[in-house]
Amino acid sequence: MADPARMIKPEKSPEKKKTTSEEHPKSDHAPEDAQGVGKPSEESKESPSKEQHKTSVKPEPGAAAAVEDEDEGTSGQPSKKLKVEPVPDKKKEKRQKVDEDEIQKMQVLVSSFSEEQLNRYEMYRRSAFPKAAIKRLIQSITGSSVSQNVVIAMSGISKVFAGEIVEEALDVCEKWGDTPPLQPKHMREAVRRLKSREQIPNTKHKDIIFIDGNVQFICFVLPCFIMNIIR
Amino acid sequence: MAEEEEEPGYEEEPEEACGGVDSAHGRRKRLFSKELRCMMYGFGDDQNPYTESVDILEDLVIEFITEMTHKAMSIGRQGRVQVEDIVFLIRKDPRKFARVKDLLTMNEELKRARKAFDEANYGS
Repeated sequence: MADPARMIKPEKSPEKKKTTSEEHPKSDHAPEDAQGVGKPSEESKESPSKEQHKTSVKPEPGAAAAVEDEDEGTSGQPSKKLKVEPVPDKKKEKRQKVDEDEIQKMQVLVSSFSEEQLNRYEMYRRSAFPKAAIKRLIQSITGSSVSQNVVIAMSGISKVFAGEIVEEALDVCEKWGDTPPLQPKHMREAVRRLKSREQIPNTKHKDIIFIDGNVQFICFVLPCFIMNIIR
Repeated sequence: MAEEEEEPGYEEEPEEACGGVDSAHGRRKRLFSKELRCMMYGFGDDQNPYTESVDILEDLVIEFITEMTHKAMSIGRQGRVQVEDIVFLIRKDPRKFARVKDLLTMNEELKRARKAFDEANYGS
């Protein structure tokens, strides 16, 4: 989902486009400018739920500019860039616009949250599984070490998984006319529903759904044949 | 049905010779109690969720991770778990797939940013 704190990608392109400004159409600047206005208001709104990675985002725009300038200096061929960029540029622009729209909508939404909603949103964003425990768990199963990316991916997926169960359980709770907090019976019903939709992996029970011709021959045809001969 | 609790109990404790089934949650120490409580609140539950519900959810998450790990070990490079395997297993589930892609992309960007920042610092 788009994260209002995540302004990294669109942030980079103004730096890049400005260094090769003559060739590129001016229309590219318009969406970026709107975004430049959006960012300061986003900073103040995000402060109640300031996230860790935001502090490491701050040095980035300056650094990105430095990196981009270096590239320009060494390559020194703006016309070459023009030939490669046009079609991917339009798609990128469209995606950036959609991204920005979503970011602005999120900002408007978050700014209108009540205190309780803000708390809940903050918990939603900040809660995460401890990487060390996940890494230990995976390594105890595989017996060998795993890379950091695996741990990141697994914790992310597990959080989504937990969210799916809780959401389904809340649906069940509402349907049964109960109120939160969730009770184990809601959780179990939620699991049962998700299992029927195959959203919960289960490799313990394997059905024999297909018996091939050879097995059929041995198990069914041959016994009948033998019985006939005996008789 | 108390199946949910019993199966992970069997799954997690093969080395413990506990005769029969435990009082169902396995004797492993609770790994994610605090984090899961915050998570459940964030996802819509009450501010103080029931401990039994948190336990059930923890068992489910551990079972999920175990299943994914076993599946990932059996595809791609055998005996190892790699990111590509996880992405492959998740491909049918749009939410999880998008989330993994996002996380990995963000991680790359952050690494690049930190590297560039460190180089800039080192230069000056």
